[in-house]
Amino acid sequence: MKRTSTRGVLGSFFEPGEALAAVEKVRDSEWTHFDLLTPFPLHGIEEAMGQTRSWVPRVTAVLALLGIGLGFGFQAFVMAVDWPLTFGGKPLFPWPSFMPVTFEAMVFFAAIGSAVVAIVAGKRDTVPQPPPLEVPTGATVDRFVLWISATDPRFDAARVTAFVRALGAADVRLVDGKGGRDA
Amino acid sequence: MTSPTRESLYATVMDDRGLTGRPVVLEGAGPYGGAEEVPEPLVTGGKKYTDVDQDICGHTERFPTRRWWIAFAVALFFLSFLVIGLATLFYAGMGVAGVNSPVGWGSFIINFVFWIGIGHAGTLISAVLFLFRQRWRTGINRAAEAMTLFAVACAGIFPLIHLGRIWFAYWLVPVPNDRGPLWVNFNSALAWDIFAISTYGLVSLTFWYVGLLPDLATVRDRATHPWRRRLYNALALGWNGSSRAWRHYEAAYLILAGFATPLVFSVHTIVSFDFATSVIPGWHTTIFPPYFVIGAIFSGFAMVITLMSIMRSVFNLKNYITINHMEAMAKVLMLTGMLVGFAYSTEFFMAWYSGSEWEGFVFQNRAFGPYAWAYAIMFTCNAVVPQLFWSKRLRRNPVVLFVVAILVNVGMWFERYVIVVTSLHRDYLPSSWGMYSLTLWDWSILLGSFGLFFTLFLLFVRFLPVIAISEVKGVMDPRVARTVPSEVTR
Repeated sequence: MKRTSTRGVLGSFFEPGEALAAVEKVRDSEWTHFDLLTPFPLHGIEEAMGQTRSWVPRVTAVLALLGIGLGFGFQAFVMAVDWPLTFGGKPLFPWPSFMPVTFEAMVFFAAIGSAVVAIVAGKRDTVPQPPPLEVPTGATVDRFVLWISATDPRFDAARVTAFVRALGAADVRLVDGKGGRDA
Repeated sequence: MTSPTRESLYATVMDDRGLTGRPVVLEGAGPYGGAEEVPEPLVTGGKKYTDVDQDICGHTERFPTRRWWIAFAVALFFLSFLVIGLATLFYAGMGVAGVNSPVGWGSFIINFVFWIGIGHAGTLISAVLFLFRQRWRTGINRAAEAMTLFAVACAGIFPLIHLGRIWFAYWLVPVPNDRGPLWVNFNSALAWDIFAISTYGLVSLTFWYVGLLPDLATVRDRATHPWRRRLYNALALGWNGSSRAWRHYEAAYLILAGFATPLVFSVHTIVSFDFATSVIPGWHTTIFPPYFVIGAIFSGFAMVITLMSIMRSVFNLKNYITINHMEAMAKVLMLTGMLVGFAYSTEFFMAWYSGSEWEGFVFQNRAFGPYAWAYAIMFTCNAVVPQLFWSKRLRRNPVVLFVVAILVNVGMWFERYVIVVTSLHRDYLPSSWGMYSLTLWDWSILLGSFGLFFTLFLLFVRFLPVIAISEVKGVMDPRVARTVPSEVTR
């Protein structure tokens, strides 16, 4: 493969069903560094792209347990260890009183942590993307854009372009670092 | 005449007049040539994906209209009441407020519960309706979530100023300090409240922002000025619609909804614990958590209806927030209104059935004592007026909806007034009975909080997409909404 500044190939579809059918063919092809840029999440895209369910919920479970541990542990430390005080004749370790704050701590860690992890995962657990400021794709408007990245080990501009055209994509173009030109 | 299909139906319903609020039976459209019953479209006007962007982002790209400026000026005028009221309160001290013995919890606590309650409908719409796959939520969830945030911001002011010495507000948080360290008392419902409200505020903010990411990217891609593009690109965190990102995004969104749902119940439950864990007759009841949660959803939906009624006409969004959306909210309003009415009756029943003299007295005093007028406003606005919505014609009448929503807002403010004031003003010792009224500064801060709320909301509608663009596109029929490729250069 020649060394070029090519980033990859874009091809547009205008109907979610067409885009799903096309991306299934890409999944079954030799190229693996592909993606489909869409204005809204498509139903069934994970199977069509050959992906499994997101692993974010597993992280959520860990974060939730962390929140429970920290929330409960901190209250126990404050109330029973660091400065034990009797309030209204209640026990020194009034664990039922800790439940509301423990619950809130669980929600805090699990919800906000999952959002952060998911956003980071969307950047990391992926293939190199066309830079949004330089390459207008229309994928936030009305297009369902197939993207095959030049980082793919078997990438060959001419063959990929021909393949994407054969899938029926419109507006097929090679993208370089500066924003792309028509193939 | 060719028999209509779902596609032709969705392409031809132009506005509210084409909607009936009932499913449509299409003769001959079924898979075997029979009839098919289809829901009415959620988006009318035969809109295309590109129209959605134009209709929703357009408002953020033009110089605001005259109407927006007038509304903004009015909101700022009321916001000044808050600034002046707070300045007076901090300068002169709590003496300018109406609270005194025996009514030591007054308008600040009422306003706090009122605003937190308003916020809850936003979370309900965004989280609970999402979990129940209610697709009509897409038209209203963004604005409802924004409403939540601004309502929580308003609510957050009140417990702090209620402290009297706001410069010690940080004592509410268990931070290490040189007084021992002296921590907060985790047996106290008031300490739980700090955690509940701050978690609620932050999770709501996260939920709202995560929902905004794809739409911020849409605004970026429409922008022409390079700085505007860069600003919205930074806000959208470089979102480009990648399905590999959507995969994690959707998982996280579902998780956020799943956590926000019990969170909203926990928050108002804990707010009600502030009252229920005391030994004051009228507060010390086990019905308070569900009663407060339902009341919160009720008042919040009323506020959503108020805001949506204004938004859909001022910003010309009637194709996205259709009369069907309004009717669905009216149904929620009627249901929760009846539940609230049921709770009022249950309280009375328990006052009698418990045989407690104190409890019995408090409720007689509530309904027939010196604050009978407040009770009457509360009961009429909350339990009686929403009964109008048994009529489908009234549910689908925007003017009736707006008026009822305003009345419910008023009624729900008075509900908190009744709970707080009537329980305190006559407790166990007749010698310590008294009356309570809001002072000028109480009113100033109350009206000012509305000023803050509407100022924030108007800024929101000016700068951000008020409808969840990516979610609305997801519920449109692609056969109608797609761009025809022949119009694009190959």
